[in-house]
Amino acid sequence: MNNRIYITGTSQISIQEPLCEQWMDSPISYDVKYTRAIDPNFKEFVSPIEARRMGLLLKRAVATSYTVMKESGISQPDAIITGTGLGCIENTELFLNALCFEGENMLKPTYFMQSTHNTIGSLLAIRTKSHGYNVTYAHKGISFDSALYDAYLQMRLNKISNALVGSHDEMTPSYFKLLQKVGYVGGDMEGVCGEVSMAAMLENDSSKALCTLHSMRVLYRPSLQKLEKAVEQVLQEAGITMDDVDGVITGINGNRKNDEEYSRYTEELFPVTAKLRYKHLFGECYSSSSLAFYSAVQCLRHERIPLGMVYGNVQLKDRKPEYLLIFNQQEEKNFSIILLGKQI
Amino acid sequence: MTEPILITGAGIVCSIGLNKEEVCTSLERRATGIEALKYLKTQHTEFPVGEVKLSNEQMCQCLGIPDGVPTTRTSLMGMLALKEALEESGLIGTDLGDVGFISGTTVGGMDKSEQYYIDFLENDSKNEYISTHDCGACSEMIADHFGSFSFITTPSTACSSAANSVILGANIIRNGLADIVVVGGSECITKFHLNGFNSLMILDQQPCRPFDASRAGLNLGEGAAYIVLEKASSARKRGCKVLAELSGYGNACDAFHQTASSPEGEGAYRAMKEALDMACKKPSDVNYINAHGTGTPNNDISESQAMIRLFGEDLPPVSSTKSFTGHTTSASGTIELAMCLIAMQKSFLPVNLNWESKQENVVEPVTEGDYRMPLDNILCNSFGFGGNDSSLLISKWTEENE
Repeated sequence: MNNRIYITGTSQISIQEPLCEQWMDSPISYDVKYTRAIDPNFKEFVSPIEARRMGLLLKRAVATSYTVMKESGISQPDAIITGTGLGCIENTELFLNALCFEGENMLKPTYFMQSTHNTIGSLLAIRTKSHGYNVTYAHKGISFDSALYDAYLQMRLNKISNALVGSHDEMTPSYFKLLQKVGYVGGDMEGVCGEVSMAAMLENDSSKALCTLHSMRVLYRPSLQKLEKAVEQVLQEAGITMDDVDGVITGINGNRKNDEEYSRYTEELFPVTAKLRYKHLFGECYSSSSLAFYSAVQCLRHERIPLGMVYGNVQLKDRKPEYLLIFNQQEEKNFSIILLGKQI
Repeated sequence: MTEPILITGAGIVCSIGLNKEEVCTSLERRATGIEALKYLKTQHTEFPVGEVKLSNEQMCQCLGIPDGVPTTRTSLMGMLALKEALEESGLIGTDLGDVGFISGTTVGGMDKSEQYYIDFLENDSKNEYISTHDCGACSEMIADHFGSFSFITTPSTACSSAANSVILGANIIRNGLADIVVVGGSECITKFHLNGFNSLMILDQQPCRPFDASRAGLNLGEGAAYIVLEKASSARKRGCKVLAELSGYGNACDAFHQTASSPEGEGAYRAMKEALDMACKKPSDVNYINAHGTGTPNNDISESQAMIRLFGEDLPPVSSTKSFTGHTTSASGTIELAMCLIAMQKSFLPVNLNWESKQENVVEPVTEGDYRMPLDNILCNSFGFGGNDSSLLISKWTEENE
């Protein structure tokens, strides 16, 4: 038990420049509610023949996953664990459209085959010939957190020594309209929506470590006391206190209700710690919490926190960041607390 | 040595019964639940299905859910099954604040989405069902009916989703992060996947015939089942009746094709082997295998190859209860595990219906004969699209185990 867990690679495709950390110095800002991700050239990752049969989200997942496999030097991970709120929604919509508008006679299997949530994780296994543990989680804003939690649990049990953990969601124009109707994105919110493909490699070998995943918890409808206890346990596992934490990364996104929820919790739980945001850069979607993780890894690795991430009254400590705590919540139902540290 | 993980409750809803007692009776009487379509509105009436024999309105009545509350068929079936599981383990009405809940699904709220999709796009009359579409929403609806669980998540690995809930739940308990986790899955039949499976040409217009030489595809089924996993010391402290021990589990990926199994059943072999190895059991210790056995030509030969490779001469009796229920997709992992618990408790082998002729390289399932026998170790297979293969091993729990 209590094996150390290191992150040895992370990569993203989002509404910022893909497969790089340009957002840390020259972020792209958006004054629209709806936008799509910036895609890299997929030729490096997918052959043209393969590309024709693959949905966009699958191509993105291949690009980010292969980037971290290359970075970490692991080509066949022990486990492939994937988060996705909606799965390959583009294919789901195409099949649903055909079903609803053209009826039940002429449906072709292609869209259906790529519509299940586990299509992404399976594709990665097929391409890398990885026969190990392979699971996908589809639970709203904690889809990524669930996938990370699974990897965390199994690495602590020594069942696996490394895991490719990713989270992938696309935002089609029509699904954006539906999510806007239920007040999740767009509307009178200030922020932009997002699309995410994020991959990370976790390993118990420290030789290529960028930083350490110390501890984490995922909770449902917790009381404030339960949250306090969870934070305490997470800090305890790393042997630190809240005073050692350089910043708390929250999911404020310009949606008033969401941001009020965050400020209520963070004022109670972390009154004297600097607050950091990331959704103003990366937007909102069910996989966006994976970019809190990605951003934290990059800040620790590059030993600096871009000033644009800081919000609120508390200043950053005058030092290279050592510990970052991610506090993720959605609609006061699903919460996660993740502690990352520079110390290897 | 880590503390054993016990099963202290189970609840099931499927086409052959709305609880364990009804399911047990149907299994013993060999009464299938696969019939002509009744509840799903589709033009594909040529396909027999294993529907839960209740309308959504009837389920709402059973659960005391008032008219006008947005629900999905997946969430309603889930609530019925969860109720039985919580009741059996003495958790109903208690504070669930330290109990985790993991519920697998793939279809989620698709039954309403396919019904109201045009309304979603063109007017604002059914917007409440936009929020019930995704998989996570279904799990939350099921859970919230009973109180406030400490943790919820939703594995979605197609037809092995529920089995993977069991594995995550067990790993949480082994990490000491919970004493009790309720695990399982729920899935209703939708036009979406009925048509999807039809487009892949894997549905049979006749009742499915797992492992038979003439098998020609699967029948869709639906339902939900939940299992209460509990650390042995917690079960002892609460004075629970123990149904079995979850002694092993394995998850592997076939890594072969998105919608087909490899000829040699690599993923299936690895998943079963991992489950046995974890429990330190030999192939000869297993008394019965509840196979994935969908009835498609591809699955049954692939699974057979994996079983023959792992068990050789020691192959125990095998059957596919999908001949009773149809393929209950994301829920099948725990629906079939609940049937294994029933079989272990009552000491009988669930038979494989509709089997007539042997095919070379395909195992011959249990169909008749003396089927009363003690079952100490049962392996339950659950494989999904994308080669997401899982296998669960339960073992009889006696006081001497303590």
